[in-house]
Amino acid sequence: MQAVILAAGEGSRLRPLTRSKPKAMLPVANRPIIDYVIEALLENGIRDIVVVVGYRKEDVIRHLNKLDAPIQVAVQERQLGTADALRAAQAEITDDFLVLPGDNYINAESIARIKEERNAVLVAEHPNPSNFGVVVIRNGIVREIIEKPEDAPTFTVSTGIYSFTPDVFSYLQTNEIPDALSAMIASGRRIRAIPADDWQDAVYPWDLLKLNSRMLRGIKPEIAGTVDASVIRRGAVRIGAGTTIGPNTVIYGPVTIGSNCNIGPNTVIMPDTSIGDRVVLEPFTYVADSLIMNDVTIGSHSRIVSAVFGQGCILADHTTTYPSASFIEVGDRVQKEEFGAVLGEGVRAAPFTTFKNCIAGNNVTVGEQKTVVGVIEDGTRVM
Amino acid sequence: MCGIVGYIGRREATPVLIQGLKRLEYRGYDSFGLATVGSAVEVYKKNGRISDGEAGAAHLTGSTGIGHTRWATHGEPNDLNAHPHTDCSGRIAVVHNGVIENYAELKRQLEERGHAFRSETDTEVIAHLIEEHYDSDLLAAVNATLPLLRGSYAVLVIAEDTQQIVAARDASPLVLGVGDAEIFAASDMTPLLEYTERVIFLEDGDVADLTPGGHYTIYHDGQAVERPIELINWCVEDTRKGGFAHYMLKEIYEQPQSFYETIRAGIDDRARQMIREADEITLVACGTSYHTALVFKYLAEPLCGIPVRVEVGSEFKYFTPPLHGLVIAVSQSGETADTIAALKMAKARNCPTLAITNMQGSTVTRVADETFLMRAGPEIGVAATKSYTAQLAALMQIVNLRCEGAYDDALSHAHLAIGDVLLQDIHEAVALCAKAEHVFFVGRGAFYPVSMEGALKMKEISYIHAEGYAAGELKHGPFALLTEETPVVAVCTPGPTYGVMASNIKEMKARRAPVIALGVAGDTELAEIVDIFIPIPNTHHLVQVLTASVVLQLLAYHTACALQRDVDKPRNLAKSVTVE
Repeated sequence: MQAVILAAGEGSRLRPLTRSKPKAMLPVANRPIIDYVIEALLENGIRDIVVVVGYRKEDVIRHLNKLDAPIQVAVQERQLGTADALRAAQAEITDDFLVLPGDNYINAESIARIKEERNAVLVAEHPNPSNFGVVVIRNGIVREIIEKPEDAPTFTVSTGIYSFTPDVFSYLQTNEIPDALSAMIASGRRIRAIPADDWQDAVYPWDLLKLNSRMLRGIKPEIAGTVDASVIRRGAVRIGAGTTIGPNTVIYGPVTIGSNCNIGPNTVIMPDTSIGDRVVLEPFTYVADSLIMNDVTIGSHSRIVSAVFGQGCILADHTTTYPSASFIEVGDRVQKEEFGAVLGEGVRAAPFTTFKNCIAGNNVTVGEQKTVVGVIEDGTRVM
Repeated sequence: MCGIVGYIGRREATPVLIQGLKRLEYRGYDSFGLATVGSAVEVYKKNGRISDGEAGAAHLTGSTGIGHTRWATHGEPNDLNAHPHTDCSGRIAVVHNGVIENYAELKRQLEERGHAFRSETDTEVIAHLIEEHYDSDLLAAVNATLPLLRGSYAVLVIAEDTQQIVAARDASPLVLGVGDAEIFAASDMTPLLEYTERVIFLEDGDVADLTPGGHYTIYHDGQAVERPIELINWCVEDTRKGGFAHYMLKEIYEQPQSFYETIRAGIDDRARQMIREADEITLVACGTSYHTALVFKYLAEPLCGIPVRVEVGSEFKYFTPPLHGLVIAVSQSGETADTIAALKMAKARNCPTLAITNMQGSTVTRVADETFLMRAGPEIGVAATKSYTAQLAALMQIVNLRCEGAYDDALSHAHLAIGDVLLQDIHEAVALCAKAEHVFFVGRGAFYPVSMEGALKMKEISYIHAEGYAAGELKHGPFALLTEETPVVAVCTPGPTYGVMASNIKEMKARRAPVIALGVAGDTELAEIVDIFIPIPNTHHLVQVLTASVVLQLLAYHTACALQRDVDKPRNLAKSVTVE
């Protein structure tokens, strides 16, 4: 059994976070999403893995090279669609194989359910089926796949995980895999629908927070680095090498902190928080339910709640992210969501900035004492 | 400038040797060869590169063997001149890295005594000399031969009817890898990483006797000595290309990490003291390292007010300037012969010496008083990229130290800016350069050596003629060469030189030369006057030096790819120049 992981797409609905890396490389609980997919495959004894890369491929390849398992790489030059991506891997396929998106979480049990099938799709229930391919099933057999319908007839969606035989390549007429599936159904092939055990996608940036807290539930406590004796820890806490946790810091797990960070003294880190490498949290700062990527600096007396910070953000003292529900326009849709802030890479904020239900693009600069709301374009200066 | 490997242990030697030679290929790739001793000495050697598939034809038996990849010095590259070399009877085989200076005289004497030479190499004399002394004791024969040799060598010798390798070094690098019931020997540690992390760096004058079962004895001046086993923290992943098209591209993309690691490693206390006390600094370096040294001069003199002199290693030896103050040798490999010779002269004049190198245990680290080890990891591509920025990381820390940490913040965030320019789309500039026969690179201040380095990269991998000039110098001659077919790459960032640089660009435009300008993001004025504008992040001046350099690396790389050059192994070049 082989597996093809599709990691070529940018994941444009997750902008601004996908500036320097594709969605599959976004860190969740301090590991790129694709790691969870690879791990689930390895747990099922599937070691012949091909990863299709494209958008920002250098970042993906560098990461794959560091893994223990030998993984083959196929390059999709232009990101035309999932079927086109699969064709990029065709030369490596000799056997029955699984296709998996590299940017969705999937557990090992789900893969165990589909790996014995030939021609099957893994399905799951989702409250917003309109973002996915909706699957109409009768007696366990797929009747129809409707891509991102306005009015979905059912809540059952395709996870994008398929089991195929090598002859699937003759059905890949268009650039999308669901079309191939429709063609197979039309020609009388039976495609089985297998319910997933645990699957989670992050469609929008704020979904990363849910995925993050889901993945933090699985972390193993481990303390490297220098932790002051007065630090109070509760629950599962991971601290990376070279990180210093200053006196009187309180950390309630599940929390993961990367390497070479400088935290405290007197900071508070509450559950469901991931902190990347080389992050600085200055004294008297409070962080909860957040995903802080590498090289972020957060000034003293800040309060960061329900926030996703892209790498290299530098936020001065008294920064606040203020979760509130409001309508956010993403692409051509308006959605009501509640979160504090999503900041792209390299956002800089002067002291006393408040982000309220805000998506700030890459390299946005914010002047002193501003309250920033809504969607801010890349490179904007808020004065 | 060749690479040698040896293996004695429990595995089949041939695949281990071939794999090792592939890792050493950056040291030379004219020809390669292997010899093993099973029931007899078997030799396989071939003109050409080991990666060209020729290696598959080698079916030598035995679990003791030696191998060599050559960068020709004595005798052109062909099958006969390829190592290993054997004696008249074919019972002794030798691989050698270095130069035997008195080989002509030795060869004449040997021929008088009836030895038949097959190659034009200096190495073959070693095989015949050992033959003369060989009487079932290989170690004794090698020991008797070495005093006759003048020059530099790292040699591995095998002989029929003895399962053993005798290794010796003098002024050429040789490391031993200690595995589980097996011993490896190689010119540097990259071939060893797959098998062991425990290495022994041999000293000049050491002779090592390697025998089956992982046993070894090291002799110095005839006495058995202990050499410490050191642990190396490089991992084998770093030497794999993975899914990258070339090592060079992989290494370009590793720069944010290697820069950061070098900054984080910091300078140790004794080196700090040395740098603080210096009232004058002289740097000796060659090639790309020379350019980093020049960048240092342009940064350190105005920022820290210390006089800095930069010398090319190969010139220094013959035209030694009066020396005073701290002498810093900059060498990625730590084996650059000219730089080491210069460093030895500095020591002889009682100057404190500091080595900046990427290679733990390399020759330069033993010669210099103190070492500042950069953390670039193994660099396999012949064109230096990550070692260049890691050298700058080391040198910028020296500037920062002399300025009492004024640039702490800029340096600790520089890796982000480097990562940022890696996302830059430069295909228009690449298309322009790829069809040019000549390209000029110009800059002022620290961007002058950056331009020189940009031109060097362009030359060495794309084979396009390129020159780097101080922008003001262009009018003193080279201006005559400007036409609409000679693109000029200009670095023009805000600062005291911005205005004059911009008017230089206008002058070039007036001569209809196409101009590619590197300027800070958002500089619309500059973008309007040039043909192609490449933005770099608007950061601290020190960081701009790095980001501009990285853009020029990408320009050279993609231009070379567009012209379908062999990026990782440019013609005639080897990575470290270990002969003078």
